[in-house]
Amino acid sequence: MLTVPGGLPKMLPLYPMNSALQVQNLSKSYKRRIRQPGLAGAVKALFSTQEQELHAVRDLSFTLQRGERVGLIGENGAGKSTTLKMLTGILVPTGGKVEVLGRVPWRERRQLALNIGVVFGQRPQLLWDIPVQETFELLKTMYRIPPDIYGLVYKEAVRRLGLEPLLATPVRHLSLGQRMRCDLAAAVLHAPAIAFLDEPTIGLDLSVKEQVREFIAHIQEKFGITLLITTHDLKDITETCDRLLLLDKGRLLFDGSIKAFEQKYASDRRIVAETHRPLDSSVAGPLSVEVAKKGGKLIEAEGHRVVVEYHEEGAAPNLIQLLLQQLQVVDINLEKTDIETIVTRIYRQPDRAGD
Amino acid sequence: MRPLAPPLTLSENILGYLSFLNRALKANFAYKASTVLGLFTAALTYGITVLVWNHVYDQKGSSLNVTRQEMFAYLAMAFCLNYALTINIDQRVGQRIRLGLIATDLLKPLDFQMTQAFQALSDCIFNGFIALGIMAVAFSALGRQAFPKSPEAFGFFLASFFLAFIIQYSIVFFFIQGAFYTYSGYGIFASRIAVHHTLSGLQAPLTLYPPILRSIGAWLPFQHVVFTPITLYTGRAEGAQAWHLLGEQALWAAGFYLLGNLVMRKALKQLEIQGG
Repeated sequence: MLTVPGGLPKMLPLYPMNSALQVQNLSKSYKRRIRQPGLAGAVKALFSTQEQELHAVRDLSFTLQRGERVGLIGENGAGKSTTLKMLTGILVPTGGKVEVLGRVPWRERRQLALNIGVVFGQRPQLLWDIPVQETFELLKTMYRIPPDIYGLVYKEAVRRLGLEPLLATPVRHLSLGQRMRCDLAAAVLHAPAIAFLDEPTIGLDLSVKEQVREFIAHIQEKFGITLLITTHDLKDITETCDRLLLLDKGRLLFDGSIKAFEQKYASDRRIVAETHRPLDSSVAGPLSVEVAKKGGKLIEAEGHRVVVEYHEEGAAPNLIQLLLQQLQVVDINLEKTDIETIVTRIYRQPDRAGD
Repeated sequence: MRPLAPPLTLSENILGYLSFLNRALKANFAYKASTVLGLFTAALTYGITVLVWNHVYDQKGSSLNVTRQEMFAYLAMAFCLNYALTINIDQRVGQRIRLGLIATDLLKPLDFQMTQAFQALSDCIFNGFIALGIMAVAFSALGRQAFPKSPEAFGFFLASFFLAFIIQYSIVFFFIQGAFYTYSGYGIFASRIAVHHTLSGLQAPLTLYPPILRSIGAWLPFQHVVFTPITLYTGRAEGAQAWHLLGEQALWAAGFYLLGNLVMRKALKQLEIQGG
């Protein structure tokens, strides 16, 4: 069993199994009253009892091992936040089973709360009317945080997130970025076993996002925190996670490593060459045939730029050799489709998970 | 990797609630202008009530079984009690439900109902100190009439005030559970205030109410928030009768607290967080 320097009294042994959470066929649906648009629709809805069932999460199953760093992505309304709320015990599922650190979240919410940290982007847990430091002190008592742990996390948070000038400021006077940084620190002050971070970088500028990611990665590594992050900024995932869950219309579309995700959805790679002289229009036709023979596809041949796409592993050397032989190449680059492009493509596919 | 933390012990829980109380009290000082405005509005309402009663006494004072001085002392006490027991958790929780912020409240390792009780206690302490100031002014104006009838009566009053706080808090907490279904606390807040103002004895001693209202009031807990503590303070109920009133208050306090807990459990099972 791993222990913290100084020793922690009254601690239970580690959860016997290595899994941090287990989700089996988790589902959540809501009933919504059907409302027509406009004022007339609003009035009609007062007397209408017509409802429709909305499925926010459907048959979701996955397991997280302790210390894993996992990103949960999906379009708006894919069920990410609903899933997190069920895992933290705020919402009761319609069906399925969940165990988080050996507890059923909605039945043992308070006990579980001691071992999890949660950030809901734009929903601060900080006390609105008093200085940030006061919330930190309150959480220290409320979560019974041992002084050594508190001191360690607090120091790191203040240093890495630049909180020093904010500590004495009432929360309502903070900007969104400042508040998000403080909220993140508040969520992990007790070095939780699992951190559920729902859009922790929402609305932040680039430099603050970077600070937040670095802090998350650091604190995760230091305490071996199991991380589950939902985000629309895929850099959050690539910089802090190893594994990806892709939700689509409440269903799990992908579960695996980021590399596996790229391999599955982005087998296409590109060679982009820049030529010394502008290309003659007569070059494109024969070049296209030659490129096809080597396992590629000519995508663009215009001005000084030639773009070749290929899918097969090992095709690149032959294609590069061909371009160097046929054209006066001054620069050449190999490009891999980035994860954002892949995800955008998946979102645009009309027949993915479907209703 | 840290070992998992076991549940909080009773003393750790209490420390958590006290720490929360400390911060809630500090937060009460955040809006001075609002406090002053609230106090002004309450004083205005009280002033109007006094003027109305003054007029009533000018017209038919002799037919009432309460003297003008007793009435003014009653109204001063009722005003101060009501001010001290003004608990804002229904507005606060209602707004948090409406905006979906309730999610963060439910993620704490402390009991939600008890945390709200300590939030209410902070309101009561904050408003209570202001009410004490007002009482000092009222006492200097009303003289002996405003003092408790006896030390024993004052003791009963203190116990009754404590129970009145629990009843008031429990009623507010019970009512606000409705916001988990309506997703807005305003209608619930307005209806509770209406019933409270009518049946607590805030506007007049309940003995002056029409029989039908008195009968309804007798079956509800609202009279125990204002009327009962003042009845004990003024010595209109003593000895066994006073103990009986305290017993009734204790039953209402416990009953509504448990009822609030039951309703909360049910409400949380069907909770939807507004705003995604």
